[in-house]
Amino acid sequence: MAVPQRSGGSRFTLAILLLISVTLISLDARGYEPLANLRKAATAVIEPFRNIAGTVFDPIADAWESLSEGDALEKENALLREQLSELLEYRVTTEGAVEELAALRTQLDLENLGGQETIVAEITGRSVSNFDPYIIEIGKGTQSGIREGMAVVSVGGLIGRIEDPGLRSSRVRLITDPNLNIGVLDVGTKEIGILSGGGVGQPLKVSDGIPVSAQIEIGSIMVTSGSERSPYPGGFAVGTILEIVVDEINLEKELLIAPTGQLENLEFVTVILYQPPSSDLGRD
Amino acid sequence: MSFLRTVKEVLVLIVLLILQLELFASIRLFGVMPEIMLGAAVAAGWHGGPTDGAVIGFLSGFLVDLYLASPMGLSALTYALIGYLIGMISELIAEDVERIVRTVISLVGIVLGLVTFVLFGELIAEPNLYNKNFGKILVVGGLYTGLFIPVLHFLMEWVFHQSSYRNNQIPMNRMQRN
Repeated sequence: MAVPQRSGGSRFTLAILLLISVTLISLDARGYEPLANLRKAATAVIEPFRNIAGTVFDPIADAWESLSEGDALEKENALLREQLSELLEYRVTTEGAVEELAALRTQLDLENLGGQETIVAEITGRSVSNFDPYIIEIGKGTQSGIREGMAVVSVGGLIGRIEDPGLRSSRVRLITDPNLNIGVLDVGTKEIGILSGGGVGQPLKVSDGIPVSAQIEIGSIMVTSGSERSPYPGGFAVGTILEIVVDEINLEKELLIAPTGQLENLEFVTVILYQPPSSDLGRD
Repeated sequence: MSFLRTVKEVLVLIVLLILQLELFASIRLFGVMPEIMLGAAVAAGWHGGPTDGAVIGFLSGFLVDLYLASPMGLSALTYALIGYLIGMISELIAEDVERIVRTVISLVGIVLGLVTFVLFGELIAEPNLYNKNFGKILVVGGLYTGLFIPVLHFLMEWVFHQSSYRNNQIPMNRMQRN
């Protein structure tokens, strides 16, 4: 078969496009502000169209969800009923624990969460990528006082942090992301470690900072440490310890943590309008 | 490039982007959504040739990049390459090829695009792209996007209808005679 001669024009066009792409990647990696603004502008421009499309497509998406996740919903329903009955029993026996927790908090000198200003935001979407499932979108942004790195909580505890807030919408990076690190503190022993996600549906991990000699117990609650460089205020429940694995080489304990915050089937979340005293936010 | 065709390109890409963000992000199969914008780059390469495939691929990737947490330009780079590649392949293949062949080549293009995206992402140390669901995303994402390939080809046929592009495709019957 005769191979047709290709003009140099198409190669030149491709070379230019690749050069532009690589330049964009490089600039974005350096945190080039105009690109971040371009993203925010693009989000703001397309938002009205997305809202209109949302009203049309939401029923389709809901129908699809009920069709594809019908079995899962039934199982979840049964599980929730079981948990409710357990909780009703548990409530009777743990009324005193509330006072105990308050005493512990005072003892640990944790900040009073009730004093933090919060804002409730509706979840407007999930990740729009197949490769990054650790994102949800909320319908509030900088206009409502939301800033980069602010903590996001749901019923039960911390679920993520704000990333790339736009004017009227923001992304939330979930704590299940293996690349998100959070400083946590064990309420029982006051040991501080670094918690990271374990992936979708997997327990969280504390694999750094807990010495092998620490008397940590399964079932103990981990809260945000509220250390000086942490973007999160201290004392937010993050999870309960499921399993303790001893790392003989590093002489540390690795903890598997079940998140206390509800991460599935969310409709609303609460953003803590807290900014740490230092503007230099680390990932902890 | 005519003004009318530019308007058609922009219109198709914007509509597909909104569908991708609002509809397809919600109707997932086994947790995987179709890669409609990548499919658009593939279809554009097929109907427009290497140059237009690369340009539309770049634009569709850039539009997606605006809404992803991954670095801006990563999808644009990948989709431009895939659009160009499919454009080159379309030049080598007979014009009146069976639709099933076109669909298979488009599917291969989509899978290749997904692999290239993750590969480039790994090269720039972007986290989360290569994960344990990668195989599932390739298979389900490829097949799921494949369901929309005929529609994407239809749209790109509409975009490039009466375009100035004259490719060098050799009709199959002529080849058989030789």
